[in-house]
Amino acid sequence: MNGDPFRIDPARARAEIEAFQRKLEAGLATLKNVGPIEVGTTPREAVHREDKLTLWHFKGEKPPTSRTPLLICYALVNTPWMIDLQEDRSMVRNLLEQGEDVYLVDWGYPDGSDRWLTLEDYIDGYLDRCVDVLRERHGVEAVNLLGICQGGVFSLCYTALHPEKVRNLVTMVTPVDFHTPDNMLSHWARNVDIDLFVDTMGNVPADVMNFAYLTLKPLRLNQQKYIGLVDILDNPKELENFLRMEKWIFDSPDQAGETFREFARDFFQKNLLMKGEARVGSRRVDLRKITQPVLNIYAEQDHLVPPAASSPLGGLVGSKDYTALAFKGGHIGIYVSGRAQRQVPPAIHAWLADR
Amino acid sequence: MADKPTDFIDQYQAWVRQGLEAWSRQFDPKAEPAPGAPSPDIAARLFAGLGGYGDWMRSMLGGEGPAAPFAAGMPPFGHGQGAPPDINDLLSMPAFGLTREQQEEQQALIRAWLDYLDHYQRYQSLLQGVHERANAALREQGAPTDAESLRSVYDRWVNLAEESYGEAALSDEFREVYAALVNAQMRLKLLQQRQVERMAVQAGMPTRKEVDTLGERLQAARRELRQMRGLASEVAALKAEVAALRGAGKPATRRAATSKKARKS
Repeated sequence: MNGDPFRIDPARARAEIEAFQRKLEAGLATLKNVGPIEVGTTPREAVHREDKLTLWHFKGEKPPTSRTPLLICYALVNTPWMIDLQEDRSMVRNLLEQGEDVYLVDWGYPDGSDRWLTLEDYIDGYLDRCVDVLRERHGVEAVNLLGICQGGVFSLCYTALHPEKVRNLVTMVTPVDFHTPDNMLSHWARNVDIDLFVDTMGNVPADVMNFAYLTLKPLRLNQQKYIGLVDILDNPKELENFLRMEKWIFDSPDQAGETFREFARDFFQKNLLMKGEARVGSRRVDLRKITQPVLNIYAEQDHLVPPAASSPLGGLVGSKDYTALAFKGGHIGIYVSGRAQRQVPPAIHAWLADR
Repeated sequence: MADKPTDFIDQYQAWVRQGLEAWSRQFDPKAEPAPGAPSPDIAARLFAGLGGYGDWMRSMLGGEGPAAPFAAGMPPFGHGQGAPPDINDLLSMPAFGLTREQQEEQQALIRAWLDYLDHYQRYQSLLQGVHERANAALREQGAPTDAESLRSVYDRWVNLAEESYGEAALSDEFREVYAALVNAQMRLKLLQQRQVERMAVQAGMPTRKEVDTLGERLQAARRELRQMRGLASEVAALKAEVAALRGAGKPATRRAATSKKARKS
């Protein structure tokens, strides 16, 4: 078919462009009045600091009812504040309201001095010491651990290596099979010379990481999103929500070079977690050693960690108490959407309360 | 004195108005086409307008476009954008003399740059193919029965383009081309870094290699220190345990001795 693929009424098109123009013009006034954009709104205090890492304890409006602290282990990519983006979009706040006692590992922003940190330093070092801080603080043998995305992979490795310190394990949008056919990131990474990459870059700059993520859906994320922005330029509340998300997306840490090398090579390229051959330092990660209850939450429309990358976990862990929970949404929506606020924290709390 | 922020707002609004009015005129049914102008292509005009908005966004942000990390890299030092036609002859010339090593380094750098440009071209060709397939799919879909808004045309096109991109991006060819591009860029960057290092040494400045080595050694020392501290606290705990056992044993020994004496007497 060779005809014009559009049916456009020129008068209507002109009116549409004029409306677009009016919105843009009015937009500056709204933009000018937007104050500083902040994320991470729930009151919190630092209970442990080490190098760039901070272990935060969140304060709810009422005291927690849960006796076992819940430690959230976030990914190294992006900051953890997506889980506490704003008051009405906060997984942390909702978990507190449910009665959980919530802590968060905030890895901070690595610089050149952190280039040589390895997976072992992160998992067997920083994370283990955070767990120990909570065990001592609460007088418990084991904590509840909630890992998110790459932090979920860390949590799986940690639980397999230190099963006695984890009472219940929750993983969210966590990949275990990195070689599913729909995993674009892993597909692209497969033939990249990771050693050359890290030897050249040292730490991997956040901009490079963000570029890779943006090119997963280049038109939607680089263009269509900003066309849509014009629609909300005259709505300060929606504009602030948009800008908060922008801040979260682009305010991201660099990646410590050696950890990136290990993670990209062993997990993305060699899929060693799935094969039962992943190592943290000299120790092999055997997921069958995870015998405590496991709740695995994945997002059905996740383009970064497709459900197929996450769902094989049940067959890999040694736990007889494994629950999978599919959420109708995407990788980010699972934390910030209205549905997520209503469904995810109550589901986590109910699952933990039963154990 | 003029109020600067107001000036800026006025300029901004005039700029936006000017650009969008030009765009809007493209859709004015009363507007006469310029003499000799090519036949109207609504899609091109629509996307040209959006492209302009994108440029405006980027200029407002003051940053480079999102393609920057993989955009054609800086040419090697001392070379312009275009390589001379007999470059391969020059690159195969043997190096000699006092600056022999630098000459070889420079040749390697130029070769890496040319190699990178080749891979960048291949990557761009793949993206061009994505664009063409999306346009073909749009033509294939044909026009809807009712007139549609520009936004819905745009959204329809984005959906098709993303679909086309998604298929290409998961292909073996894309994987190979993407990795080759990244690897070529890293080879080029590494050689550039070596040149910078050499200059840093000449200027008596610390190099990245030196800083990296220090960082690596420091991290190794910190790991060792932690391990030793761990061992020390284990030893301390064991000592305390032994001391406690000894402490518990002493009165028992004394009691045993006392009762022995008692039995003797």
